[in-house]
Amino acid sequence: MLLDLHTHSTASDDSRASIEQYVKWINILRKKGNHIDGFVVTDHRQFNHDVNYDSISSENGITILKGAELDTDTGHFLVYGINEKISSIINFADVTMSAQKLVDVCDTYGAIAFPAHPGRAGIGFAHYLDNGVKGFETVKTAERLNGSNRPGEGEKAEELIQSKGFNGTGGSDAHIVSAIGTCMTEFEANISNEVELVAALRSGSFKAVRMNKI
Amino acid sequence: MSNNPLYFEDVEFGDDIGPIIREVSDESVIEFVSIRGPETEPSRFTSKEVAQSQGLPEAIVPGAMNIALMSQLLTGWSETVSLLKLDVVFRKTVPHNTPLKFSGIITDKDESGSNNLECDITMENEEGVKLVIGNAVISLPSQP
Repeated sequence: MLLDLHTHSTASDDSRASIEQYVKWINILRKKGNHIDGFVVTDHRQFNHDVNYDSISSENGITILKGAELDTDTGHFLVYGINEKISSIINFADVTMSAQKLVDVCDTYGAIAFPAHPGRAGIGFAHYLDNGVKGFETVKTAERLNGSNRPGEGEKAEELIQSKGFNGTGGSDAHIVSAIGTCMTEFEANISNEVELVAALRSGSFKAVRMNKI
Repeated sequence: MSNNPLYFEDVEFGDDIGPIIREVSDESVIEFVSIRGPETEPSRFTSKEVAQSQGLPEAIVPGAMNIALMSQLLTGWSETVSLLKLDVVFRKTVPHNTPLKFSGIITDKDESGSNNLECDITMENEEGVKLVIGNAVISLPSQP
């Protein structure tokens, strides 16, 4: 199953793509022979429990799940499996939140948090490790392929993943419609909800893949 | 601008707009900022020294000029294009005197009679880094 694990909707201040536009574009990608089963919406610094994509998801046969991309004191982290308990503990808008606390809370309450675009200067996990940050023993995953990577960032991420023995995910980091699906994660399991996504991410049975441009 | 008239029926989802490559010279930036009146003092748009004093590596292209350049990608696609809406996000500063690639792709086509098309647009540097991204709504006439 191929899921784009990192996308931004218009709820993110720097994105210009709506969920409906992504869905329409995925249908076009499929007609042109590309394979994409769904995506996870990971808007910046927020999570809306009330938003429900079940209707548009089932109408189009596209899995649409919810996560978040959070700013922390150790770079940007992708978070999946967010529930009410987690959002009652973590202030998603706090751009200086402790990444270690975020990881620990997610580990405790059924979610998972791991570094987004870890090779990115200033906001990537590798940058902080290079500067002596310690801990994060339970982190076993990082974003290997990011569709918005700049030159050198992918190599830096790969170096981190290899050195730590991490599992690597893929996501487009789409902020515009046509970017969705450029990088994805191929899972062995079928995933239909966030709980199954967390289980699959914790199992390590996945790999990062790129989609050929249409 | 292309002399070939484009019509709504000619365009499909996924059609490319451009790409076109342009460089913004120091002179063209000075000309642009002078539109609102002669520049009395150098700024981060026209002076490397001022830009560096503000933490920038070099003089940058003004945001309004970047928007104008993005719009020209669309209006230059065909003489029949009407630009209805342009919404951009500045992701990195845009330097002078370096090749910039402007491109777009049609992402939606309103078949209900409006003849509107939606498209993604990007400006990238030579390394493929997206400096400006956005989307636009344009309109094309129906075939006569």
